[in-house]
Amino acid sequence: MDLLWTISTILLLCSLLSILWKGFDRRRNRSCYLLDFVCYKPSDDRKLSSELCSDIIVRNKRLSVPDYKFLLKVVVNSGISEDTYGPRSIIEGREECPTHDDCVDEVDDCMYRTLDELFLRTSISPIDVDVLVVNVSMFAPSPSLTSRIVNRYRMREDVKNFSLAGMGCSASPIAIDLVNNIFKTRKRTLAVVVTSESIAPNWYYGTDKSMMLGNCLFRSGGCSFMLTNDPSLKHRAKMSLKCLVRAHIGANDDAYSCAIQKEDDEGRVGFHLSKSLPKAAVRAFAENLQRLAPKVLPVGELALYVLRGFRHRLWRSKEAKTDAATAAMVNFKSGVDHFCLHTGGAAVIDAVGRALGLTKYDVEPARMTLHRWGNTSASSLWYVLGYMEAKKRLRRKDRVLMLSFGAGFKCNSCLWEVLRDLNDGGAWEDCIRAYPPQTLVNPFMEKFGWVKEA
Amino acid sequence: MRAVPLPRFLSSVELAYLNVVNHLLAFPIIPVMVAVLLQVLELGPDELIAHWSSLGIDTIHALCTIFTVVVVATAYFMSRPRPVYLVDHACFRPPRSFRVPFATFFEHASLVPFFDEKSVRFQVRFLESSGLGEETCLPLANRYIPPCPSMEAACAEARLVIFSAIDELIAKTDLKPRDVDILVVNCSLFSPTPSLSAMIVNKYKMRSNIMSFNLSGMGCSAGLISIDLARSLLQAHPNSYALVVSTEIITPNFYAGNERSMLLPNCLFRMGAAAVLLSNSRREEDRAKYRLLHVVRTHEGADDRAYRCVYEEEDGEGNSGINLSKELTTVTGEALRANITAVGPLVLPVTEQLRFLASLVARRLLGARGGKPYIPDFKRAFDHLCIHAGGRAVIDELQRSLGLPAALVEASRMTLHRFGNTSSSSLWYELAYIEAKSRMRRGDRVWMIGFGSGFKCNSAVWRCLRAPKAPVDGPWSDCIHRYPVHVPEMVKLL
Repeated sequence: MDLLWTISTILLLCSLLSILWKGFDRRRNRSCYLLDFVCYKPSDDRKLSSELCSDIIVRNKRLSVPDYKFLLKVVVNSGISEDTYGPRSIIEGREECPTHDDCVDEVDDCMYRTLDELFLRTSISPIDVDVLVVNVSMFAPSPSLTSRIVNRYRMREDVKNFSLAGMGCSASPIAIDLVNNIFKTRKRTLAVVVTSESIAPNWYYGTDKSMMLGNCLFRSGGCSFMLTNDPSLKHRAKMSLKCLVRAHIGANDDAYSCAIQKEDDEGRVGFHLSKSLPKAAVRAFAENLQRLAPKVLPVGELALYVLRGFRHRLWRSKEAKTDAATAAMVNFKSGVDHFCLHTGGAAVIDAVGRALGLTKYDVEPARMTLHRWGNTSASSLWYVLGYMEAKKRLRRKDRVLMLSFGAGFKCNSCLWEVLRDLNDGGAWEDCIRAYPPQTLVNPFMEKFGWVKEA
Repeated sequence: MRAVPLPRFLSSVELAYLNVVNHLLAFPIIPVMVAVLLQVLELGPDELIAHWSSLGIDTIHALCTIFTVVVVATAYFMSRPRPVYLVDHACFRPPRSFRVPFATFFEHASLVPFFDEKSVRFQVRFLESSGLGEETCLPLANRYIPPCPSMEAACAEARLVIFSAIDELIAKTDLKPRDVDILVVNCSLFSPTPSLSAMIVNKYKMRSNIMSFNLSGMGCSAGLISIDLARSLLQAHPNSYALVVSTEIITPNFYAGNERSMLLPNCLFRMGAAAVLLSNSRREEDRAKYRLLHVVRTHEGADDRAYRCVYEEEDGEGNSGINLSKELTTVTGEALRANITAVGPLVLPVTEQLRFLASLVARRLLGARGGKPYIPDFKRAFDHLCIHAGGRAVIDELQRSLGLPAALVEASRMTLHRFGNTSSSSLWYELAYIEAKSRMRRGDRVWMIGFGSGFKCNSAVWRCLRAPKAPVDGPWSDCIHRYPVHVPEMVKLL
């Protein structure tokens, strides 16, 4: 019967189309687009010059002269400029006894300023936000920081909010991972992520050297960014997430305890950075790269890597094969155009740059971010990205790799593809023309240069 | 320009309407199918074969049709979200040496130098009618006079409660830590760096590609937030195991001041922890205890009154503590109403939904003349209820506003009595109570309701797949024979 044939053919076609559509729709849902990001720029009265740092250090009467010298040495050699920012409570002399309001105000200022601008720039209303994630490692008040945002912006009742804490300097990719996983289960979802760090309640005022480094390196900073998996917003998006890799080597006791918050011998809480930190970083780095490389590198480069590996094993088996050497055998620049490295410190940036075979041009954004903003913990990656954008380096189809390390010990990375030519100045707007500066040497080297010889 | 949020009324009507409409399509189809079936049954087998042959369907055509139907059905079932199973759960069993009977609490409060006499009397008076028993537990640091809340002591408490719960879960489920793909930990008032999730990864030597998340500051309802997160992650990753750990660390949160509204947490919060193993692996279908049906989260933070009712702040002397406002029970009731408006359409039978909708419409159109608000009969949707044991007043308020019989809130009251307010893990102690009492049957539906700072009200609905065999090994093993106890309105201490 012709009618029956027609009906059944139509049914067959419809079912095939619906299967294809389901598959295609699911692939669309797997996308994660970065609509925009806004880096935090504190007010100028919060700038921490080396002179001010020195005054703050000297205020701690428990320290001896060798301790002062050690700290000044760290400050002078840190690669951090005179324009980084600190919390108001520390500048005003309350570093040893910050009030709860001091801590809350510090985080509120960052969150609200960046979110106000983010909503303005994207023309998206807070009521439309479906998912809200905040990560601030060392401060988690009740109600949570996400609740503070929900209250301030009068967000919806059914907004899914998550407040991450204790996740260290590599928490940005963790927050992106969380949102990305939710995107796989919901269509047309809008997510806002705020990442920052709290310095005011975590100032260390004891005498343990391993805990004083944090005081010298960490600076105020933060970032708010908006993600979506809605394909209709793709034309407005800046970047698209390609892959994300998390490596957690906390199973190793040395790695777990190499960057840890604890009490010193006198009962004062500080952030201890041990001498085994670089080794843990290398291990976590290698672990991450092993899983990242196949996802990021072109097939040709992977084949070459395998060949080099064979050759290394056959003809140079006597040489100790370090993880860093293994990493150097791979040319990441074949699959990645720009590198956002966590600004943990000048030594960290240089070490990672060497391991990846990067040039001065490649590590410049990270070095300049360290110089201008200091180590802003989890949000540092965004300042580095902001530098690249302000320098108009990001062109359509470029691939950007974000790489960060954090307490735990973790190494997390994510690869983005740029969707259109980007040229916003962002937080770097007023100073990008001065970068890169002629010299990164601290201008107070003359005044405090004696510490290097001492 | 900021958009105006949909009024709750409209969104609840919309939800109810959508649900009814979805079922409405079934209404004409069912009678038609019944009619066709009756017609077919009337025919004899010869006539059936004659009808079939007259259609002129040949073998190939029939095969193609069957093949298409099978392919479409397979694709449909494969594309549906994988079910999330609760394999098992375990709670921390505090050793008897951690007990804080009323007399101990009274004595310690009197001896510490920072409480004035009024504060001591206030705390003890509150304890008299709090619904807590004499076996609730506080950590070691709180038992010193004065308490010594160091970070080391807080970490020690964390290790004790969390590792005990996880060890018990491993023993119950034969879980290999290296098989854990997802780890979600929530602890509201203590978040060291590295996080508690990193502490667990370190202790149990978990894999380097584990997806771990540490939630903090999210209050007493964070247990269900962690379940929600684990569910989302499981839906994105097939064949995975998720370990969810909920706890509250008491050590760093002792309030050492005299502000009344901030003294209440000292009286209510006690040690506890729970570890839950979730999975979406088909292998676990045979031994899983429950299946997760729904998780609904409601956040009332946009309302200032709700936002401020559980608030961490410093008193006039600089002592940090959690301020519980007098409007807590009212706010709890409102948050619950908002949450059940969202849960209702998912779980209530259609008749109850229609009655609720009719009452809502009548009240909106006719005001007070529309009659009293119809409260859906949730007993028809659930067999067991686990309400966060936040305090006696909260449980009383919920019992009143939902019209619940005493039997349905028994698990909450008894958990409050035996363990105190253990924050996000209290729901698991309550579930353990119901199991220990051998009341759980296969097919039973359990509704967990958690409340917390923000102000949030979160719900999870579970269906029992496998009733645990008596005697159940759990935190109630040594005392279930004494329960339920009558909890007096007031225990005279002063």
